Amino acid sequence: MKIFLMIIAYIIFAPILGAVLSGLDRRVTARMQGRVGPPILQPLYDVLKLMQKDSLVVRRSQNFYIAFFLMFIIFTGALFFSGKDLLLVIFALTLAEIFFVLGGYKASSPYSIIGSQRAMIQMMAYEPIIILAVVGMYMVTKSFYITDIISYNKPLCYYLPGLLFAFIYILTMKFSKSPFDLAYSHHAHQELVKGMTTEFSGRSLAMIEVAHWYENILLLGFVWLFFANNILIGIALTLVVYFLTILIDNTFARVKWEMAFLSTWIVGLVFGVGNIIVLFFVKR
Amino acid sequence: MHYDGTSCNGCDIEVLASLAPRYDVERLGVINTGNPKHADILLITGSVNDQNREVIQNIYEQMPDPKVVVAIGICATSGGIFSECYNVLGGVNKVLPVDIYVPGCAARPESIIDGVVKALKILEDKKHKLIEMKSSAKAFVIEPAAIEDATEILALQKLAYQSEAELYNDFAFPPLMQTLPELIEDFKAVTFFKAVINGVIIGSVRGCMKGDTCYIYRRIVHPMYQNLGIGKKLMNDIEFHFGFASRFEVFTGHKSKRNINFYERLGYKMFKCEKVNDKRHRVYLEKSADRI
Amino acid sequence: MYLLSFLILFPLVTASILLFLKNDKVRAITITSAAVILSAGSIALLIINFHREAQYFSLEVPYIDKAIFFIETLLAGYIFYMGWKYKKYIISGLILAQFLITAVFETRYRHNIMVDHVLFVDKFSIIMTLIIGVIGSLICVYAIGYMKDYHSQHNKALKDNRRFFSFLMFVFLSAMFGIVFSNNLLWLYFFWEITTLSSFLLIGYNKNQEASNNAFKALEFNLLGGLAFLIGIIYLYRFYGVVELDKAVYLGKLGALVPVALISFAGLTKSAQMPFSSWLLGAMVAPTPVSALLHSSTMVKAGVYVILRFASVLQGSMLGFIIALIGGSTFLITSLIAISQNDAKKALAYSTIANLGLIVLCAGVGTYEAMWAAMLLIIFHAVTKCLLFLCVGAIEHRIHSRDIEDMSGLIISMPKISIMIQIGMVGMFLAPFGMLISKWAVLKALVDFNPLLAVFVIFGSSATLFFWVKWLGKIITVVNTEQDLEEGMSKIETIPLFILAFLTVGLCGLFPFVSTALIQPYVMEIYGATLTMSQGNIVIMSIMLAMVMLFPLSFINYGKRVKVVDAYLGGANIETGTRFRGASGSIKNMAMKNYYMEKYFGEKKLYRFGILFCFIFMVFMFMVLVK
Repeated sequence: MKIFLMIIAYIIFAPILGAVLSGLDRRVTARMQGRVGPPILQPLYDVLKLMQKDSLVVRRSQNFYIAFFLMFIIFTGALFFSGKDLLLVIFALTLAEIFFVLGGYKASSPYSIIGSQRAMIQMMAYEPIIILAVVGMYMVTKSFYITDIISYNKPLCYYLPGLLFAFIYILTMKFSKSPFDLAYSHHAHQELVKGMTTEFSGRSLAMIEVAHWYENILLLGFVWLFFANNILIGIALTLVVYFLTILIDNTFARVKWEMAFLSTWIVGLVFGVGNIIVLFFVKR
Repeated sequence: MHYDGTSCNGCDIEVLASLAPRYDVERLGVINTGNPKHADILLITGSVNDQNREVIQNIYEQMPDPKVVVAIGICATSGGIFSECYNVLGGVNKVLPVDIYVPGCAARPESIIDGVVKALKILEDKKHKLIEMKSSAKAFVIEPAAIEDATEILALQKLAYQSEAELYNDFAFPPLMQTLPELIEDFKAVTFFKAVINGVIIGSVRGCMKGDTCYIYRRIVHPMYQNLGIGKKLMNDIEFHFGFASRFEVFTGHKSKRNINFYERLGYKMFKCEKVNDKRHRVYLEKSADRI
Repeated sequence: MYLLSFLILFPLVTASILLFLKNDKVRAITITSAAVILSAGSIALLIINFHREAQYFSLEVPYIDKAIFFIETLLAGYIFYMGWKYKKYIISGLILAQFLITAVFETRYRHNIMVDHVLFVDKFSIIMTLIIGVIGSLICVYAIGYMKDYHSQHNKALKDNRRFFSFLMFVFLSAMFGIVFSNNLLWLYFFWEITTLSSFLLIGYNKNQEASNNAFKALEFNLLGGLAFLIGIIYLYRFYGVVELDKAVYLGKLGALVPVALISFAGLTKSAQMPFSSWLLGAMVAPTPVSALLHSSTMVKAGVYVILRFASVLQGSMLGFIIALIGGSTFLITSLIAISQNDAKKALAYSTIANLGLIVLCAGVGTYEAMWAAMLLIIFHAVTKCLLFLCVGAIEHRIHSRDIEDMSGLIISMPKISIMIQIGMVGMFLAPFGMLISKWAVLKALVDFNPLLAVFVIFGSSATLFFWVKWLGKIITVVNTEQDLEEGMSKIETIPLFILAFLTVGLCGLFPFVSTALIQPYVMEIYGATLTMSQGNIVIMSIMLAMVMLFPLSFINYGKRVKVVDAYLGGANIETGTRFRGASGSIKNMAMKNYYMEKYFGEKKLYRFGILFCFIFMVFMFMVLVK
């Protein structure tokens, strides 16, 4: 029963929370740049407006992929917040992302395909670190289940500092912020137009936006797992991490894909695998 | 979205300035995007010339409804100080329906933001109208068409036959190549019917008698109003109009499975298939009068 | 017991009949009926042995060992002659060595050898039988239509040797059955070498320079493995007095690692692990059914089969760890190289080597969890890879190119095949399909044992993600409305494809049953403990599978309420929307290519790296043995 309630709560509240966080992101970014910035609920207004616009497509079936992207993101989030197997959550998240990428391919336009390929490069870059983080959590708590990870008696960041650092490193990639906003970020429009989302409009675009809200909440939930010992401190620290990504976004310039990929794998190897090696010998 | 025609870039820079901290148009919830499919407002600076005329039209078509066009600066309004140049065709209103004109040379960021705000208001109105139109789509009326409707019908024809042309990868398709005088000529020989919603023509069909047979062709329905039964009603009405014919004949392309199914469901049967060119074959269907 | 002999001998009989059938239609009917009988036989084996433990059989057929030796002599002579004629002296040298050792062994020791059981069957053999019998037969059926096209389209100058081709395919099937049922290592070795020979003859089918070079390369590496196998058997007999597989496993657990190492070496060469991978890559010049049968689903599985038989021996030992390292680094490096490949068959070859590396990794680890994962991998990989190869073969015949870049718009021009190849690709890396389940199992097995090995798997699977999605995307991208290329696809080609696609999806839906029915009993037998996927996870995976299956349904209401416009090309679209106005008013076509990143993942760079690494590991392996 509790699980059921958690799932319903996630489905209803996550987009609202996600919209508020996204609006806060724009507001804080604007303030950092010396501007006023839009109202905090702006993303919500944007999505409502988008729902009422025409749907233009290049290929008729491209919107189906987006619908499935949204469906699977909600499914993954529901899995996560109902405390199931973390590895499965990661694989489901990958599945959802793949639908999005395939939608970009289906749209058959140069910009969307470049966006899709670069999104795949990014996925190749950050996927190892996420799975390493899960492996690290397993090594500490001896379980893959989220319910067990949360109820561990010490905050995991004590044991997994390297992995936490690596995870924050790739968080900018997942949130599509500089220095790794290579695929479909808003600010790369001089180079990529809108990357994967170029050929989507109206309702599909609104679905992409909402799916990103769900995904952001999911990712922040993952960050929270590192601090999950004390719920309130955990949430506070997660928000600090979020603020950190906004700060990094405004401070660094976008890098080339080679740099993004190589640096991520190197960080993953040094900090992530290093962390695991240390854990391995300590736990022996 | 911002497009720059032939301009001195002065207005461009002012547009960019309005995105910058001092003027910050984002506090109104407006951001700059480079993609017409994501855009609601098209800001155009600079005037139109031969080269960018098609580009502007292309970008405008790639913007989803509802949309507004804001012409910024005197060059976009009427050609500005370059209006007598050999390549300048004039302001943006030569190619697109402009909603707001923002004068100035260069237009100040405050005027630009003022123009954008006014454009937002117009956008709201358009949105309401669009919603109304969609909901009233059920209430369509079929009536005979007159010569005055020729222009609208031609535009609708070109729009509706796009998908057929795509199917055969043949854009030298007669319906797409027909000109206005030809269509007006047609009016004299052939009966036109139109389907109307709120005064806007969204479908049409034409038919003519030759001997005992009524030939029905160019059945078109606006892509946004397809699958609502409009096509069927058009066919019924024109068949009724030519009720004294003993046989009806229609044709369509061999790959247009949907059309072929549509006609077959109305009682037509295929009887001939003929090659038009390398890319297309035509399939002829007929129905005899007592099957109505 | 009779069923086992039947399964081994029946393909042989069919092969001999096929060699003499000139009429195409009669041959086609023969092959199809033989295929049906073999599949039925394999399934019958499953049903009969469903609840039984492993069974061992002894066979009292006089002179059979002498007959085997006689055939071996003939084959050795032939290979020696081929090696000599084409100046590949290494081959002649290797086969001479093998022959001499065998001859000496046979003459000196034959009358002393006591063999308790020559044949056996257990759940692992049944799994392999199903793969060989069902999937192998499907490939033979597919080959009927494929080879007809092959000769009519491509190589008009090539002599139509289809009788010989189908003869070889069935001889191969017979040999594979022999491998999985043999308990007598000498027999296993005999069947092993027959598969090597068939591989050599089939790769060189084309008879052009490239094909024969690659055939000889394959022969070289496989003979090397065969030699190691033979030395392993001799060692086993000399020092421990046995030539049987089950006894070898038993002795291995007590510490007899040298024969295990030698036989594993043979397995590594057969399954094209680094540094022996070049033969498999070169083997892709063979006709597609050969690639599917020998070089992805079946023969290479024989290599990992023998290593897996010794998994319980390798558990916890240094030797096992090194083998695991070899498998893991092969997986990582070949996955990375696959990114830069644009030849479809080569990309599939690299992917095959990568997945075999993963299985070898599990074998080296040797825990019960790893075993479970390895068996899952074998099943799913065999089905999915076979589907992929067959689809690529069909596509190649229609678009006359193997390049992935030419496969754009396939979803319009070849809808049925493109859907099947998409199912295959998705089945290779995406949740909730089979290979993902297997990779998950591998991860779970590794985190308990040694998380460092998991690093190989993690980084490697991200690389596989990239190149599969790239390819998948290429197929669904449509630039111009293409014509229908699927006309004229014979039923005989499409039916195997349908069956395989169905199997891919069905197996992953039914995988809990497969696990409880086949895999778990075997693992239980060997280790006394087994791994399963928890009930909750199975439910979740089923829900995911159901949701993914909804995707095709979405095409019912195909794009009704949308307006089709051009792709965004900066407003410069002309005419059809896929051409645009370039500089100076010229008209250019829109063209999109995938990233191949030669600079970073290029074959030359990484391949040398891989060979170096794995060579060092090999050296370590033998050093460990010497100690």
